[in-house]
Amino acid sequence: MDRIQRLITGAASDQLSITILTLPTDNDRQAIKIARQLEENLKAVGINVRIEPRADAELLQTVLLEHDFDCYISRHPGGYDPDFLYETFHSKFAPEAGWQNPYGFVDTELDKLLERQRSTTGSEREEAIGEALDRLAQTHPIVPICVPDERRLVRTDRFAGWNDHHLGTRLGYLGLEPDENDFEDEVVLNAVITDSSPSRNINPLAAAYRYRGPFVDLLYDSVATRDDDELRPWLAESWEWDESVATITLRSNCLFHDGEPVTADDVKFTYDLLDDTSLGDRDGQSPAPRYRGVGDAVESVTAVDDRTVRMRFGTSDEVGELAFTVPILPKHIWKTAVEDRLENGAEPIQGTWDLVTTEEIPPIGSGPFALTEQEPRSHLRFERFDDHFTRRGYVDLPEPRVDEIAFHVEPNSSAAVDQLEAGNADVTGTILGSETVGDVPDGLELVESESWTFYHIGFNVRNSPFSNLHFRRNVARLIDRESLVADVFNEQASPTVTPVTGEWVPDDLEWDGSAPYAPFFRDETNSGDTGELDIERAKREFERHGFQYDEDGEYIVRS
Amino acid sequence: MLAELLTQVTAIIVVLLVGFVPVCIGRRRLRATRREWRDRMREAAPVAGVVLVVLLANRFTRQRLPDISWAIDWNLTPTFYAIEGEAIIWFQQFASPLVTQYFSFVYIYGYVFILVFPVIAYFALSDTRPLRELLSAYALNYLIGLFLYLLVIAYGPRNIMPTAIETVLYDFRPQYQYLTQEVNHNTNVFPSLHTSLSATIAIFAYRTRDEYPIWFAVAVPLAASIAVSTMYLGIHWAIDVVAGIALAVGTVYAADRFVGRWSLSEDFGIEIDEYVDRIRRTAGMRTPADPSPSADDEYGEADGTDVEDPSSDEPSTGQRS
Repeated sequence: MDRIQRLITGAASDQLSITILTLPTDNDRQAIKIARQLEENLKAVGINVRIEPRADAELLQTVLLEHDFDCYISRHPGGYDPDFLYETFHSKFAPEAGWQNPYGFVDTELDKLLERQRSTTGSEREEAIGEALDRLAQTHPIVPICVPDERRLVRTDRFAGWNDHHLGTRLGYLGLEPDENDFEDEVVLNAVITDSSPSRNINPLAAAYRYRGPFVDLLYDSVATRDDDELRPWLAESWEWDESVATITLRSNCLFHDGEPVTADDVKFTYDLLDDTSLGDRDGQSPAPRYRGVGDAVESVTAVDDRTVRMRFGTSDEVGELAFTVPILPKHIWKTAVEDRLENGAEPIQGTWDLVTTEEIPPIGSGPFALTEQEPRSHLRFERFDDHFTRRGYVDLPEPRVDEIAFHVEPNSSAAVDQLEAGNADVTGTILGSETVGDVPDGLELVESESWTFYHIGFNVRNSPFSNLHFRRNVARLIDRESLVADVFNEQASPTVTPVTGEWVPDDLEWDGSAPYAPFFRDETNSGDTGELDIERAKREFERHGFQYDEDGEYIVRS
Repeated sequence: MLAELLTQVTAIIVVLLVGFVPVCIGRRRLRATRREWRDRMREAAPVAGVVLVVLLANRFTRQRLPDISWAIDWNLTPTFYAIEGEAIIWFQQFASPLVTQYFSFVYIYGYVFILVFPVIAYFALSDTRPLRELLSAYALNYLIGLFLYLLVIAYGPRNIMPTAIETVLYDFRPQYQYLTQEVNHNTNVFPSLHTSLSATIAIFAYRTRDEYPIWFAVAVPLAASIAVSTMYLGIHWAIDVVAGIALAVGTVYAADRFVGRWSLSEDFGIEIDEYVDRIRRTAGMRTPADPSPSADDEYGEADGTDVEDPSSDEPSTGQRS
């Protein structure tokens, strides 16, 4: 029987087996390639592997909300400020569902460092971050692999200004200048995307559907907006700091898409809702599955008058200001949405209850564009909101200049590029897979943007075998970043051992050809080729940490 | 882009049919069809209606089906991969540009052709039983296929073997994915409906080999090519193809049993002629004074064409055959 099973599945019945969740080729060709490479190496050292492809939202659902995984390979959105590490790895979030600590990772030393970087500034903060990254690199809740170049293709015949702002943010779609000669009446910007999530669900709190793209930020305003390295006033006219208290003055006469005014009350409501999506209905709290880290920095919010909000923070001003980028939700819609659900007997289970997963709450914001059409797995249409404050003459911010933006869902990156070449679209809204950017076709232009996202393996440290640090480290040592970057990414990525990018990477963790705490088991005798796994050495390491092999020394026996 | 592709497919299929129909079906049958098409239509209408309903149901639920499948979350991709591994890579040893051209042509155009031609060919037979059986088999294939698609999530080999297959259809012809995604979603590969429908048609071609020897000679290798193409192009697992063949055998058997078992007028009290009549009246069309002559007279009158003796070899709608 055993033999038959081995013959069919390639695994013995008592062999250690793990499941790798990842995206199918259609969604992310690089992720599945990394998974296949890891599969090969794991099998070589005697661990059986099941690869389970899941679509974008379904992968996030399993990992973030259900915590039902061994390990997964995908891209993490990262963050321009390293404070996202707090949300991602602090132990106090381990029991919660959402983007907060999906790994179930608990390390009190790391907790202290993550807290320290929130309360310090300048070189002190930098040091705390460096130490936190160091700790992460030694404890391996995730294995960062590389930071892919962020590339998009655009057509320059109908619109100009593609390079003015980051195309992954709202500003990227504002300020674009249409060539009036190309349009008879309506100016429509056509974008192609390869992720169907926004067409299926646009709820700003739905963790599984919110990963990339400017969709929520086009629809909703936030107090401030990120513009390169600075935070600029957006819905706020200005703010002032006084000892961890920010007094925010909102712009006057701003409206939601349904005509209701945007007031300080909406701002206060939004932060209250993030803190507890049941609005205090139950004893326990039900924090939102998104914006958890920044929401946690907010200690209290007071609406002083219609246009003035006072926010007290438990962190440095620098970290506190990150909370200014969350979408401001209309109280008149969301309060009813919460109350209706509770009245109908819904349990406000944290992270997964209807309010934070449904697509049925009217998508009304105050942002520069309003949603007019949403067809699941097909397209989304946004229409310019003419009352938006950026349209006022005296406001010095990029304003929406197109009448309509349509995002069309394409089956994969190559099909998206085809649509641009055929002249049916002006921009690839999602980041292109590295397989699609070879020679830039005629009439198209490549736009490169700063990238914070990184490919990684995430481990579920709640369960065996990834609860074991040594197991995680040895699996990390099966990853050959340089050969992956060369073979899978065509060199359009940089190897990394940290989840942050750019200047935040401490010197000792800069990539220098080898991962400091978990170097690849490279076969040194095979000096000619790179990327050869030293199987015997890897097996010995697993064995040294208590993982037993069968009598023939072929596979690791499940304990 | 989709419209362009559809036009292209339609054009090529029309060309193929124009060439093939006269050769394979023969003038005599076509002439008879011109005389008898109304009777045959009426006999085949109920089952054709069923096919239409199934197709429309697919059309309108297509975008919602994956959500339900993911809610059930029975993902068999890892199981298929564990069982057959990279078995379909075997076909890669025959890969060449010409072979790839052939299989992609067969996968898209050959498939549409093999679906359409027998409908015409069997319509050209005075006995409508093969036509009714074929259409029931189509409907059954689709229904069972859709049910399995709903139940099972399975990505095709190309989605888990990004590099091993050099001849993935959508890699060198990304535009075809627009076409196929109109019909299907990428998590629906089990079973292969390309295989099951082609195999169904091949079985029918075998049964009607006396009437259509040329079609038999064409359909069998074409069906086999279509089945192979799904694996060569990285779209289906061998398991999907095997399941497709099993589905074909099952549906042909079932169609055999079902067709002629029920009659609209006897079992359900539905008189098609009366309905047609009523629709005509409501539409304000010219109707014969007497609503209950024999169907042939009615049609003959309405169109003023010459109708031959209706008591030929045809069973009428009301009878079991």
